[in-house]
Amino acid sequence: MGIEGADLIVAATYIGAGIAMGLGAIGPGVGQGMVGAKACEAIGKNPSEAALLTRTMLVGQAVAESTGIYSLVIAMLLIFVV
Amino acid sequence: MDEIGGIYQMIVRVGDHAFHFNLSVIGMTWIVIALLLFFGYMATRQRHILPHTLQVVGELIISQFYSLTESALGKEKAKIYAPLVVALFMFLLFSNWIGALPHMSEPTTDLNTTLGLGFMGFFLAHYAGIRSKGFKGYIKNYFEPIAFMMPMNLIGELAKVISISFRLFGNMMGGSIIILVVSYLTYSLVLPPFLYAFFSLFIGSIQAFVFTMLTIVYIAVQVE
Repeated sequence: MGIEGADLIVAATYIGAGIAMGLGAIGPGVGQGMVGAKACEAIGKNPSEAALLTRTMLVGQAVAESTGIYSLVIAMLLIFVV
Repeated sequence: MDEIGGIYQMIVRVGDHAFHFNLSVIGMTWIVIALLLFFGYMATRQRHILPHTLQVVGELIISQFYSLTESALGKEKAKIYAPLVVALFMFLLFSNWIGALPHMSEPTTDLNTTLGLGFMGFFLAHYAGIRSKGFKGYIKNYFEPIAFMMPMNLIGELAKVISISFRLFGNMMGGSIIILVVSYLTYSLVLPPFLYAFFSLFIGSIQAFVFTMLTIVYIAVQVE
């Protein structure tokens, strides 16, 4: 029983999904961390504006997350569609 | 684990062409619309200068989004576009939250819903641009800084639709897949309620807000 082309395709889709998700998660991780760090600094300087800063931080993080979400969509396409 | 990829479809054949209807998504959208109508009816019933609970919630949401739209578009245009913005936010909020109920699935886990809403924002923004600047000014916008950049601007406009709709779809779909996988691993003990609280309620409201904010921003960019 040898490895045929169909098996290689299945293996390659899973490897590709893993690589897409793993590499794609680096950027949003760094970006969200930077947003969180700057928000902490700003709240430390100006604690009375904490509510506004937290809201802005959450929206900024949700937008920074989007590249990670795209790689998640690609990984889902690879696993469920291919 | 079979439920992840399974979609209930009704296929209607007209001549050579087959139309596919995702029945669960359509049903969920109608349930969301019915809930919204019910909320609106309950909030505006017995209006009084001393508001009751639901009226306070409704007034809070509406005044927040009116002020957001006013700060982005100015006072006169806000009167036109703010009702749509509030309706968009409420629809997305309810359709993201409904996944937390048993046997319900979010309509936003289907790409068709989010892509439809994204295209709605796209056409609305361009209609607003044509209306405020005139057709010539609108076309001239594509040839900004130099005429050579026209294809880039065109692709940029289309990429906005893709990015805004895939962001919402990916968040909701990823959340529901994680909930499903963890429920399967832990035999639906203890963990899933907290995951529902996080993915459905918290992420759902943030993403609904982000989608609405970005739609306002796209309209504002075209109107400027």
